[in-house]
Amino acid sequence: MALMKPRAILANTLVALLTALTIAPLLYMVIVSFMPRGESSNPPTPLWPSHWSMENYHELLVRRLIDGAWFDYRIVPALFNSIAIAAISTLLGLLLTVPAGYAFAKLRFRGRERLLKILIASLVVPGQVAMLPLFLIFKQLGLVNSYAGVILPSLAGIFAILFVRQATLAIPDEMIDAARIDGASEARIFVTIVLPLLTPIVVTLALFMFLGSWNDFLWPLIVLADQHLYTLPVAVAAIAREHSADGELMMAAAVVTTMPVLLLFLAMQRYYLTGLLGGSVKG
Amino acid sequence: MRHDPAMGAQPHDWTRRSALGLLPTLGLAACARSRAPEPLKFWAMSYEGDYSPMLMPAFTAATGILVDVQSLPATAAHEKLLTAQAGGAMPDVLMLYTGWVQEFATIAAIAPVPSPAMVADLFPGVLDATRVGGRDFAVPWSVAPQVQFYRRDILARAGYPEPAGDWDGWLRMGHAIKRQRPDDFVFMLLLNWPDMLMTMLGQTGATMLRDHDTRGNFQTPEARAAFAYYARIFAEGLAPKALSTEIQDPVAAFAQGYFAIWPTGPTTMLDLHRRAAEIPAERWATARLAGPHGVGAVSGLSTSLCVSASTPRPAEAWALVRHLSSPASELRYQTMIGNLPARLSAWTSPQLRAPILAPFKAQMRFPATAPKVIEWERIKLEIQFAAERVVRNVQTIPQALAGLDTRVDQLLAKRRALVEAGTLA
Amino acid sequence: MTRQERAAWLFSAPVLAIIALVFVLPTALAMALSVTDYSIYALADWANLRFVGLGNFIDLFSTPLFWRAIGNTALFALLGVPIAIGASLAVALLLNDATVRWKPLWRVLLFAPDVTSIVATAVVWRFLFNERSGLINRALATVGAAPVDWLGNPHTSIPAILIFVTWKIFGYNMIVFTAALSAVPQDLMEAARLDGAGHWGRFRHVTLPAIGPTLLLAAVMSVAGFLQIFAEPYVMTLGGPAQSTTTILYFMFDEGFKWWNLGQASAVAFVLFLMILALTMFQTWIGRRYEWL
Repeated sequence: MALMKPRAILANTLVALLTALTIAPLLYMVIVSFMPRGESSNPPTPLWPSHWSMENYHELLVRRLIDGAWFDYRIVPALFNSIAIAAISTLLGLLLTVPAGYAFAKLRFRGRERLLKILIASLVVPGQVAMLPLFLIFKQLGLVNSYAGVILPSLAGIFAILFVRQATLAIPDEMIDAARIDGASEARIFVTIVLPLLTPIVVTLALFMFLGSWNDFLWPLIVLADQHLYTLPVAVAAIAREHSADGELMMAAAVVTTMPVLLLFLAMQRYYLTGLLGGSVKG
Repeated sequence: MRHDPAMGAQPHDWTRRSALGLLPTLGLAACARSRAPEPLKFWAMSYEGDYSPMLMPAFTAATGILVDVQSLPATAAHEKLLTAQAGGAMPDVLMLYTGWVQEFATIAAIAPVPSPAMVADLFPGVLDATRVGGRDFAVPWSVAPQVQFYRRDILARAGYPEPAGDWDGWLRMGHAIKRQRPDDFVFMLLLNWPDMLMTMLGQTGATMLRDHDTRGNFQTPEARAAFAYYARIFAEGLAPKALSTEIQDPVAAFAQGYFAIWPTGPTTMLDLHRRAAEIPAERWATARLAGPHGVGAVSGLSTSLCVSASTPRPAEAWALVRHLSSPASELRYQTMIGNLPARLSAWTSPQLRAPILAPFKAQMRFPATAPKVIEWERIKLEIQFAAERVVRNVQTIPQALAGLDTRVDQLLAKRRALVEAGTLA
Repeated sequence: MTRQERAAWLFSAPVLAIIALVFVLPTALAMALSVTDYSIYALADWANLRFVGLGNFIDLFSTPLFWRAIGNTALFALLGVPIAIGASLAVALLLNDATVRWKPLWRVLLFAPDVTSIVATAVVWRFLFNERSGLINRALATVGAAPVDWLGNPHTSIPAILIFVTWKIFGYNMIVFTAALSAVPQDLMEAARLDGAGHWGRFRHVTLPAIGPTLLLAAVMSVAGFLQIFAEPYVMTLGGPAQSTTTILYFMFDEGFKWWNLGQASAVAFVLFLMILALTMFQTWIGRRYEWL
């Protein structure tokens, strides 16, 4: 045992160092966001604020009246847009894909196998292929520049259906058949028997959906024209183009964008990481 | 400047409106007299976008119309605007870089100016760029010709009280400065900013396109001369082979004497004034750009105001354009962000009598003209890429120009087909 | 229709309808668009639209920037996959060591960058890469290295973005590999140890064969990921300097939404699709090969 000690120290130190290195950019982002304006761009690069300042957050988040004109980076509205869009996407996404995943696993219907094959095969097609024509279709439907235009594509959860199906396959058929013999309706079976068993998977899926929607960038960038509808990544990308010199302000914007999901992830990490493994061995 | 809200509702403004748009607009216009429930949408790029809210309180006070300003990053503006047009999500009023006006007019994204009075009182020549098919599609807002900003102290030490005005003199002056400051450069021509090269091409008389603007025409003596002069400046070590991303703080570099001559537009004056601690005002001045045989026409990044063809409230939209392009607003903008007014009458103001502005005022009467094809913005980038390849010794000038012709022919293929079919004039 | 069948359709029809609308139909339309000359002229007037057959593809293949974008993307994948997979594997092996404590804590923290928004973290890394005042050059200065213009120099722009991407994504495969490593048969490991095999020998002959399929699958998936790089250059470099970070998807976005050449852009999308399809076929082929072994 005594011989193992240096090795244990080495391994633990190495892991701690790597973790510190990984977390450092996020930590530095938070630190810089509290620096007084302009401090971070004066070499030598400061590692710590000369004093902790809230001015970046104030400028970023508070609507200010200057000479009778309102100035606003619209980060707070973007935060609410992101929350609303991610929440609606998640709720509707679950509502649509969980029953479908169950149906593909446990309900017999004509064409099921063929549809399943098509769904698996379509995972190959990158979403960007559909993007250009989708814009033209959405224009015809009047969905360009609307919440619905952002949310609708995120509801086409092929992966989610397969994910739920995989988990549902583990539920023994006997349980469902017994309920059928008792005369329960299919909807009732789903709600009272299947859904409680699927709860952990549904939570995982909800997390995936929420984070996916929150971090989505390319499609919202294309489909949202009006700044009042911008999600956080789109709003931050727009500010970042013109304010790259304002390091502290941009770090504050990055904190607002990353922290909500980071905290959500830390709180729910058990569901997330186990779900990730479930998803990676899809079949 | 007071704006009579009734003026915006003159009958001739209503005629272009589609029957579908008529009803809601009537409702809104009626509300506007008291207080518009829905603000007018205005999009602008860059500084103009950031500072436009400051011009709105006066407009709202006079008309009761609220305005919602959306600032677009300049580098993402073209896709944003085209996508908005394609998606039917255009704002009511928008700023365009003057070079984009004919593109957006051709795709019917913007409406023609309703009355000639709005485009009176302007520098002669500026309307050429915004006129498509004989109609005006924009109200010029600012005129931003390039001039040379120069370090008076550095030039004086090399024996030049002011910069040379012709190409040969420019090079001689460059070498005189370089001899004194071998570790620094003389000129700053960013390899991804096409304005200087455009000016040079215009001044040698290169036509750039041929056959009714359906093919590239770069294998000409004029284009060769411009490319050769441009490349020579770099080859002789007078300019750094740098992109804008590499010179992250050009004002600081200018203050430190990293280069002594900086061809750029009027907004740079404001940057220099703001940082007078680094570079006192007596150290720099402005002069018109050198041309092959003396000063001539130059290109620049001027801005224009347009009204969306699909706005349901054209009368109010044009009222906003009228407000923003009034001499008073333009003068206010000059103090705020350094833009130079396009309205001639604004130039009688004492505010614009500073000697530093004189070269701009003289230069404004000679804007360079660009071919009027909607692919021009792209072609401009390709020209600059070709020049960058020459400067970086990837290609010779004949190779680069031949490649440019091929690429431009490719970009103009659709236009060529339409012209040949007679669909496009 | 049986009761069960009715329920099945009720359960799955809504989502299938949405998939058809936002995925199947546009994908089919993309193929149709790629053989038309939909351009800004068609945006002005649909009458300007024409069928051009394979014209877009011929044009595309004679466009230098398209090949540049393919080359850049290939460079991203060629450099990025070994770096990212290597990092994931190294950290997973380290975490797998019996002596390491608080494993769940390290796992969560190391994985954290993966859940953050690409846009926000790209903004952060652009700031870290700043030549004059960035943290990275400051760290380099402490070991005496000259400042590097990471994002401004065409030779360092791709490596810089790769450092960022690796930081962001390595946690994902790390988790996958950790799971695979825990399934490595311990009796085999013990037998190798008794046979006198060293660390490398045990890794080479026991660990690697056991996690090989997972490793290959992860590599193939990573290639697919690198083929779809967009937000990083969009935020950090605008595809520059000197077009050194223009990727296939960035090129498609520019063609499609900046210049509104939907015909041409659809052809690019189609090429991307074919590349990913080829990759997937390669992946299935590998999968099958391993089943035979």
